[in-house]
Amino acid sequence: MNPIVTLTLQADLRYLRIAAITASNVAEIFADIACTEGNIAEFCHAYELSVSEAFTNSVRYAEPSQEKKQVTICFWSDNGTLVVNIIDNNPQFDPITDAPDINSYPEGGYGLFLIHRLMDKVSYSRIDDSNMLTMTKQPKTTHTAT
Amino acid sequence: MNIIEKSINSYIILSLEGILNASSAPMLKSYVAGLPDTQSIVVDLENVEFIDSSGLGVLVGIARKKKTSNALVKLARLNERVKKVFEITQAYTLFDIYDDLSAAADA
Repeated sequence: MNPIVTLTLQADLRYLRIAAITASNVAEIFADIACTEGNIAEFCHAYELSVSEAFTNSVRYAEPSQEKKQVTICFWSDNGTLVVNIIDNNPQFDPITDAPDINSYPEGGYGLFLIHRLMDKVSYSRIDDSNMLTMTKQPKTTHTAT
Repeated sequence: MNIIEKSINSYIILSLEGILNASSAPMLKSYVAGLPDTQSIVVDLENVEFIDSSGLGVLVGIARKKKTSNALVKLARLNERVKKVFEITQAYTLFDIYDDLSAAADA
């Protein structure tokens, strides 16, 4: 995997747009390099929204006593796919989520559901005391990027 | 995010501009909480550049509160990026959605 950008931000919603805009910008550059066909705006929006959701969760579930309240976001290129890792030091969580019961007018519970629906592949690992959420989406391309 | 308020017929129109995310959504929640519970509103989303699940959640919460007060919340002028979030979550089923403001405030 080739690293593209690594961003470490304080776990604070004031920095949410930095995370989301970076994701959109990296996706746009990646799509250009990968000669993506089809809807590039949709590809970029998927990364912008997924990273926004993941960063928000990282901020919300940080514990007050936590020493390192930061979120690291790593973008990689892997065989023509843009991979993004969201890493935090929060307590372990279950990345599997059911669709929210919309008829009960839920105010929350949409974040991980949206990520799963927007991205092609979502995986989770617990490494030492860190959570790592990995998300990928395959662009439609005319050739494979390096 | 900016919130611009105006009235059409008996509705208050709230035109949102900018980003509706976890950082800005509480502002919308507070703004609507300052209106009378029985006041029906139209939320104009044409100039919302980006919405995430927190923004959606606040809109759903407003809809739930208005429902219990027998008031209405309507949405108008959803752009493609906003529409996508409502479609994936099926939240569009909770709202009456209109293409223009006057139709929303007429109905």
